[in-house]
Amino acid sequence: MSRKPRGQLKFNSTLVALLVAGYGVVPFALGANNYIMSMVVAALVIGGVALSWALLGNLGGMISFGHSAFFGVGAYVSALATVKLGVPVFAGLALGGVGAVLASIVMLPVLRLRGPYFALAILAYAHIFRILATEWRSVTGGAGGVAGIPAFPSMLGFDFGTKMGAYLIALTLVLGFAFVYARIRASYFGLALRAMHDSEDATRMVGVNSTMLKAAMLMLSAFMAGVFGAVNAHYINFLEPDYAFNALWVTLPIVAAIFGGYRTISGPVIGALVVYLADQLVFKAVMPTGHQLVLGVLLVVMIVFSPSGLMPSLKPLLKKRTAPHART
Amino acid sequence: MMKTRFKRCALAALVSAALIAIAGGTARADDIKVGAQLPLTGALARVGTGMQEGIMVAAEVFNKTNGKHTIKIITIDDESAPAKAIAAVEKLASDGVVAITGGYGSNNISPASDAANKLGLVYITSGGVDNSLVNAGRKNFFRINNSAGYQKAMLGLLGDVGARSVSIVYSTKDATANLARDVDQTLTAKGVKVTLHAFDPAITDFKPIINKIKLQDKPEVIAMVGYENDYVGILRAARVLKPAVKAMVGVWSLATPKMAADFADLMPNVYGTALLPFPAEFKSADGKAFADAYKALYKKAPDYLGQFGYVQSMLLFEAIARAADTGTLKKGGVAEEMRKTDRETVIGRVQFSANGDNLNFVHRMGQHQDKKIVIVWPKETATGKLVYPATPW
Amino acid sequence: MTELILQALYSGLLQGGSYALIALGLALVFGTMKVINLAHGELVLLAAYVAYAVESGLGLGPMFAIPIALVLVCIAALLVCFVISRIQRDREINSLILTYGIGVILTNLILLVWHADVRSTNSTWLQEAFVVGPFYSMRSELIFFGVSIALMMALWWWLSRSWYGRAVRAVASNRDAAKLMGIDPGRTELVSFIVAGMLAAFAGVALYSYGVIQPAYGGALTVKAFIITVLAGIGSIPGVLFGAVLLGVAEALTVTLASSALQELAGMTLFLLVLFVMPNGLFGAAQRRG
Repeated sequence: MSRKPRGQLKFNSTLVALLVAGYGVVPFALGANNYIMSMVVAALVIGGVALSWALLGNLGGMISFGHSAFFGVGAYVSALATVKLGVPVFAGLALGGVGAVLASIVMLPVLRLRGPYFALAILAYAHIFRILATEWRSVTGGAGGVAGIPAFPSMLGFDFGTKMGAYLIALTLVLGFAFVYARIRASYFGLALRAMHDSEDATRMVGVNSTMLKAAMLMLSAFMAGVFGAVNAHYINFLEPDYAFNALWVTLPIVAAIFGGYRTISGPVIGALVVYLADQLVFKAVMPTGHQLVLGVLLVVMIVFSPSGLMPSLKPLLKKRTAPHART
Repeated sequence: MMKTRFKRCALAALVSAALIAIAGGTARADDIKVGAQLPLTGALARVGTGMQEGIMVAAEVFNKTNGKHTIKIITIDDESAPAKAIAAVEKLASDGVVAITGGYGSNNISPASDAANKLGLVYITSGGVDNSLVNAGRKNFFRINNSAGYQKAMLGLLGDVGARSVSIVYSTKDATANLARDVDQTLTAKGVKVTLHAFDPAITDFKPIINKIKLQDKPEVIAMVGYENDYVGILRAARVLKPAVKAMVGVWSLATPKMAADFADLMPNVYGTALLPFPAEFKSADGKAFADAYKALYKKAPDYLGQFGYVQSMLLFEAIARAADTGTLKKGGVAEEMRKTDRETVIGRVQFSANGDNLNFVHRMGQHQDKKIVIVWPKETATGKLVYPATPW
Repeated sequence: MTELILQALYSGLLQGGSYALIALGLALVFGTMKVINLAHGELVLLAAYVAYAVESGLGLGPMFAIPIALVLVCIAALLVCFVISRIQRDREINSLILTYGIGVILTNLILLVWHADVRSTNSTWLQEAFVVGPFYSMRSELIFFGVSIALMMALWWWLSRSWYGRAVRAVASNRDAAKLMGIDPGRTELVSFIVAGMLAAFAGVALYSYGVIQPAYGGALTVKAFIITVLAGIGSIPGVLFGAVLLGVAEALTVTLASSALQELAGMTLFLLVLFVMPNGLFGAAQRRG
């Protein structure tokens, strides 16, 4: 079956418009409003995790219910490295990603499990990491957490410690990871992974090492989520076990990815922005208690009516139609 | 296709609703706006709601008694999450509040008060007893209670009854663990034999722990440092196993009317920190005004959360009024006036030190007796006799 | 020391019986439909809150709440089953996310209606101690342990003897063959969901009687139920009891011998251990994994 390689970087008008909006329009239009910018930064962090979740689901074929594990580990590693070892913040972000990768290596034995077993095994790991963070007081500061985490420093004359700085960093990272995701999907590996989806046995016969590929995707997904965990830690400047490994870091990215369309690349991020902003700005105002109920309703409605998410349905409005998906 | 059109409409509706919501609400021009950042949902929903009741009562009483100024409270739910707490503070700032009252849990108060500090807003709370909060160098931070006050109360009681051995059962959460360790240190220094038992907050069956205490530690007193669900579990396990102890002593959320009513079998003779007896008898004019307004607004007797919320907010409003009178409202006057605070309240005398702490704060110990709560320590404020040794079984 | 361990084993046994009751519904639906109902914990919690509403509103003990809880939870279970049946493709994965969303909805509904306070039964009689030799327990724990065993035996009988029960097993092992035999898989799945709902109702009332409930507990209950289902292996009812008791005893022993701060760790570690070493569970039928 022949398919157009999807996700190839087309410098078309949509992409350019997005870049201009992200770097040009938004900072000037909304920059003065601290509150909205707070929301946007938080939404971008969720979007980043949603992207990593979707990557694992699409390229790795594994649904995870425990991405909070990677997020939390990344946050703690970066926080501790910068606070206790004096590592510069940007290096801390990378270390956070590496820490999350190490956490995923511990999870490798779980790779051979199928669907729901894998999803919940990852959740078990998230619980274990949370308990470790609480109990290992000498290193992690226990239940009290880590305070005074340094903010992003000034670089090239621009103070990244501000709200605007955090926004730019989060935006750049999201775009960067999306780019990497797109390249992988379009590459040989992407093809192999998609084939693996359809039939693992067949791909094994052709000589593709499916386990290695799955492991690589898990580690990449972990890295992304870990980096965003670190970004969040330096943005909030405070960390504690319940916050770092909170179930919301599982729920919100999943809702965002499903809503936006987890088979696409832009879907999870756009989904995150729409869902988070709608939740905080609209639902919370209408229903101060229990507004998270709407998130649940969104999930249910999306799965029943449009499991591919919102983005694929909107795409015909934004671009010319691409070839129909051959899979049912 | 119908589905696509439906989705398009839904998206358009969402966006328009968002824009309308951003446009924001309105307030009268001569109102002074004060922000309340509280957890109304999430893990801390119960304590946040309790504190909010106190804050609203304070606004009600203040507006009635102060002829010149009117306070309007704007509440934002921080969903028990640090990021949302910061966002709430920022939204309140953009709504034009002159100060913020509220906050619960050091994890949320720390980043939120940082944000308030950066925006030059006074932040007063009764929900953060940890020492780190006042040692972070925030100039606009104030609080009316602290961990030391709880410790003094518990230690005072234990000292008065002459307990020679204590087993401390505590939740591994931050505030409880720190309190437990501090109490342990002080007691051990005094020569009291102390054993510590930490438990994961998710535990529901406390029989194994209580059994360990009963068979191995054999203390005179069991000290419990946790939250409502923990107390219920511990007391149930103790009632079943009946360890040979002389008293069960807890800290916050235990000596409350709610516990007396909901779990009447578990409470007799149990000690916990309490500001006022139940049924509450308010002797001062301030206290009576508080109790009456609370009853009128919420149709029930106030609890400790409402009491704290009331006191912290009243002191704030009074400082704001003073600053408004001298015209320094926007120029850091509120913080200055806060530091000049010195008055008797329903929780005792309140003064703020240079780092915003109320060093006078000493909690009181209450005991459940006959479905009522009697203040038994310190002797000066006692409303009844201390019954010891006594257990719920 | 022996006394401590004996009590820990006893407590663990009783706790395990209660866990089994919570897990049974999830295991049944998983076995029949290959669907993990992540909202199961919330259904249990719903029943518990119904018991609270009955006790605080009518002043009747939790036992009297059972009929009402049965009705309400079964209706909820029916709704869940209906929504799941609307999934068009990739049922295994999509149902995971769908039921997760339903769980969020239920948790928030419970929060809206009953608020965040901690609740448990007031009944003196249920909280009284019941002592047998060196073994201590609350009356409610013992009673509901008995209920749990009774229900499990009833379920086992139903699955092996009654028509619908055997239909459920048929659909579980081979859906298409069952269709050929004249069994309506859709109807059968509905039945299994209703039975799961009934089990959840009993589990919820039990939970209210011996433990405390809060709206946030739904998720934790689902996780525990799933751990036990994995321990048991698919298609084994006695396995659920065994797995649950194993979990309860592991937790109690961890608390007694190590630190009570590590209780949750015990459950998670046990879960992962079984997944690695015996992916089919302790009693499960062999199935292709990976």
